[in-house]
Amino acid sequence: MEQFLTNAEILQPQRPIIEFRGVSKTYPGGTHALEDVNIKIHNGEFVFIVGSSGAGKSTFMKLIMREEKTNTGEIKVNGFNLTDMKRKDVPLLRRTMGIVFQDFRLIPTMNVFDNVAFAMYVVGASGRDIRREVSKALSKVGLGHKARSMPSQLSGGEQQRVGLARALVNSPDLIIADEPTGNVDPNMSYEIVSLLTEINKKGTTILMVTHDHNLVRDFQHRVIMLDGGKIVADNAGGDLQ
Amino acid sequence: MKLGSVKYLVGEGIKNTWVNRLMTLASVGVLVACMVIIGLAILITENVNVAIGNLEQQNVVMAYMKDYNWALYSDDNTSEDQASSSETASSENEDGENSADEDEADKNGIKETDYIIHSDEEAQALCDEIAKLPNVAEVIFVSSEEGLQTVKDSMLAGQDEYFDFLNEEYGNPMSCAAKIKMKDMALFDETLEQISALEGIDIIQSQSDLAEKITAIKNGIGVAGVWIIAILMVIALVIVSNTIRVTMYNRKLEISIMKAVGATDTFVRIPFVVEGMLIGLISAVIAEGLLYFCYRVATETIISTLSTTDIVKYGDVALWLFLVFAVIGLFAGVLGSVIMIGKYLRREGSEFAAI
Repeated sequence: MEQFLTNAEILQPQRPIIEFRGVSKTYPGGTHALEDVNIKIHNGEFVFIVGSSGAGKSTFMKLIMREEKTNTGEIKVNGFNLTDMKRKDVPLLRRTMGIVFQDFRLIPTMNVFDNVAFAMYVVGASGRDIRREVSKALSKVGLGHKARSMPSQLSGGEQQRVGLARALVNSPDLIIADEPTGNVDPNMSYEIVSLLTEINKKGTTILMVTHDHNLVRDFQHRVIMLDGGKIVADNAGGDLQ
Repeated sequence: MKLGSVKYLVGEGIKNTWVNRLMTLASVGVLVACMVIIGLAILITENVNVAIGNLEQQNVVMAYMKDYNWALYSDDNTSEDQASSSETASSENEDGENSADEDEADKNGIKETDYIIHSDEEAQALCDEIAKLPNVAEVIFVSSEEGLQTVKDSMLAGQDEYFDFLNEEYGNPMSCAAKIKMKDMALFDETLEQISALEGIDIIQSQSDLAEKITAIKNGIGVAGVWIIAILMVIALVIVSNTIRVTMYNRKLEISIMKAVGATDTFVRIPFVVEGMLIGLISAVIAEGLLYFCYRVATETIISTLSTTDIVKYGDVALWLFLVFAVIGLFAGVLGSVIMIGKYLRREGSEFAAI
């Protein structure tokens, strides 16, 4: 597998962590999800992905996670070339990113600690590392005191913060958040995006899909707008183009 | 993979088996039924083989030899003898110095050159030659006297007098013989040909029909056993696969999270394989116990009603049967889970992104 950049290069600001070159995706049946998308997202950026339903947001994110393959064009994420990536290498790519789901996706039979630790078991971390890192991640999201609680005992906002702790626990370079505020109240939405902003300030790149225009307006990050499978706006240079 | 991960995954597999205990129980039940039927098929086959083995032991071939008695009662020989004796006589008349030892006919007109086996030592040597044939299990030399006695013993009272008469008037009508037991009845005809080809063998008395029947029964039981085992193995595989599939759908959320955080397919697969193996092994242990109990009851009944002791003891096959069950259980468990989880991961396992 070709690695385009060294880890040191990836972590440098202004180096692209995600790069799309002439990417098009058509699903079997003829649906054109993305058409000739060219974009660069740099290391350390916070990017909102916005657009109406069917705009191509899902496909855009799935391509980054190598859930889908492109028909044409080239994608590089975290130094991995996704275009000709083998199936067995996909887990390596995913270990460099954390994913936050709209529906939290916590395992109801596991307590908060185990839900977060689960992500570390998967990558073969030692018991000592797991205890240390899970505690750190829970403290970061303000849930250190709820480690033994079950998901059903938490509010929606707290559950999403557990999801965020799980995404953070393996210290990824990139966090992909799929409408993380979609199932929480407005106050909690602000809290979650604030948390993500804090994480971003420490150097982690954040890619967040949202429909909440208030959040986009208030947090003043880069916004990429998709419509009909094309990027119709991108304020990479400052204002929305 | 690190030891910690292996421990975690094995623990997950064991936990899953307990969490899905109803499905586990159903699978174990069906697997035990399959294994018990397979075990019964094996035990029946073994018992039939023992019975057939006994039959085979009784299926003795008698190879009669061309000895003096054979020459005495052989029609062809007699005419040849006569011709031969007259030739010899004229030859003696001509040169008058032929060896009397070799060519001189006895009172019955038989010369030493008319037959091949001249003594018990030569007969024993022929028996040794027969014993060297690959499919021959045992050869016993039967002298002509023993042969005559055996025939007389098999006659009804009074009928044996005829043989006494023959013996006294003309000589023993029985040639010496080799009593042969074969190893494999399937090679019966081939072995008979090899024995017939040996010099000194006259005729072979055998029950080729019985040999054919024994071979047919053995083959039939073998084929039926293989089919029964194959069909039940497929059933076992389907049952375990189904349980694993249910477990997998129950754990869809966990699988999607595992995939999202970078779990390899092997990592996702291991707990299911462990679960499948556990189901297989638990079933093997239960099936062994159940079969032991059933077989004991059945054999006690058979022994008391049929007064036979030619029955395979469970203890003789217990370990072997357990190994068969364990292999079936592990095969069904591992293969069932690998097939199911592989299918799932290829089709749906990566659908973690709900965007």
